[in-house]
Amino acid sequence: MKIPLVLNRKNRILLKELTKTDFKLRYQGSVLGYLWALLRPLMMFAILYIVFAKLLKIGNDIPHYPVYLLCGTTMWSFFTECTSQGIQAIVARGDLLRKISFPKYIVVVSATLTAVINMLINVAVIIIFALINGVEPSWNWFLAIPAILELYFLSLGLAFWLGSINVKYRDITSIWDVIVQALFYAVPIIYPISMVAGTSELAAKVLLLNPIAQAIQDIRYGLITTETITTWNYVLNPSVIIPILLVIFVLGFGAYTFRKKSKFFAEEV
Amino acid sequence: MKNKRKIGNRTEVQESESPIAISVKSLYKSFRLPTEQAFGLKQALFNRLRGIKGYTEQKVLKGLNFEIKKGEFVGIVGRNGSGKSTLLKILAGVYYPEKGNITINGSLIPFIELGVGFNPELTGRENVYMNGALLGFSNEEMDEMYDDIWKFAELEKFQDQKLKNYSSGMQVRLAFSIAIRARGDILLLDEVLAVGDAAFQKKCNDYFKELRDEKKTVILVTHSMDNVKKFCTRAILIEDGKITHDGTPATIADEYNRILGIK
Repeated sequence: MKIPLVLNRKNRILLKELTKTDFKLRYQGSVLGYLWALLRPLMMFAILYIVFAKLLKIGNDIPHYPVYLLCGTTMWSFFTECTSQGIQAIVARGDLLRKISFPKYIVVVSATLTAVINMLINVAVIIIFALINGVEPSWNWFLAIPAILELYFLSLGLAFWLGSINVKYRDITSIWDVIVQALFYAVPIIYPISMVAGTSELAAKVLLLNPIAQAIQDIRYGLITTETITTWNYVLNPSVIIPILLVIFVLGFGAYTFRKKSKFFAEEV
Repeated sequence: MKNKRKIGNRTEVQESESPIAISVKSLYKSFRLPTEQAFGLKQALFNRLRGIKGYTEQKVLKGLNFEIKKGEFVGIVGRNGSGKSTLLKILAGVYYPEKGNITINGSLIPFIELGVGFNPELTGRENVYMNGALLGFSNEEMDEMYDDIWKFAELEKFQDQKLKNYSSGMQVRLAFSIAIRARGDILLLDEVLAVGDAAFQKKCNDYFKELRDEKKTVILVTHSMDNVKKFCTRAILIEDGKITHDGTPATIADEYNRILGIK
């Protein structure tokens, strides 16, 4: 039995070229071009900052709150972009699937890699803002790497799983849009988790068992400030491993479903 | 799952001493065509509750058996909907066989369509690299053959234009010029002969003659009996998902014309 994730030479070339094309096409025909990869999250940050930090005065108890907020919104954008692009990838590349034979996961991975590139650019911006804001450079920054990887694997798993259903039932795309909207409020991005913890400790703990929340809090802990609540320092019981188990399950189940269904993508797409 | 789908075998091997390039044994294929808009979750749920399958099964290939030897130039002919293209796509590995065994001996290059992956928003240059990647060429290899591709297509002036500004004839010419760079043991061609104007046609014909003279294994799906007679060393006639005749190009061309009612 062949291991599906082995990247041979031909597949590597294809993955690289597809990602390049995706990235080029994303900003095709716009005056500012690639700059939008930076501008979009910065604009979203500006809105959230004005509304929540300035008007509603949330987050005064957190050091470097503006960067903390930017970090959260960037990682959230990464998650939504990764999943929505990944879910649509098979349908969007239907023309290729119907004409040539190649491992189908390449299409999904290349769609998510575009989001990864955008995210990396934005991490550079976060670091610049953090330094301006007086965050001291530290070895802790490297703690963000496993958390970002975790977030990526979760997105990839969801993209594989939902993307393979989406081939037959296009409703998934619309349903996912709504779920993402709901999830946005379930993840402590615009509000600090300490605010929830102040009202209900249990609610805060439950929210932190969401792998997205756990990963984003870890990234903030690593990049911005160690004075923040994370799943690890707040949920002090064995359920603390739930987020990790969830990610492993979603990726495993997603890859399994995708593999099983991918044989018929060419006929069904 | 109650309606689990069966899958046949398609294996690729590299046996240089074996004289067989492709072997197909009792190949079956049917498609599930959705009925009464079985798309969408709502309809799928309704159908499941009512016990409707939501699709009809269309049998396309009904037990094909044949072997193709190395160096044969085989024309596959048949009327529209007889299953030629489905057969080609199964050989190429795009569709899965439903039942049966397929063995491909050697590296296989499929041309189900020219210019797969061409994007109108990208320039000619970008499309050449993209299309090359689909054929398995790295950037460096593409750099090497880049100028030849444009020269052959006679489109050097348009390299940096977006593809949407090309005429359809120009697009196909470019695609064809990239396609003929691909080097494999077995080539699958689906109706890609009739490309461009008379002058370009001649170039294409020369390419096919070259393939024949080099003793490449080629499977060509076509409706043109002239081409079958000109290039093929053997032809197969498919009618309604079954092989009805297998023989010399001349006899198959006559048979094909007979079933079409052309005398």
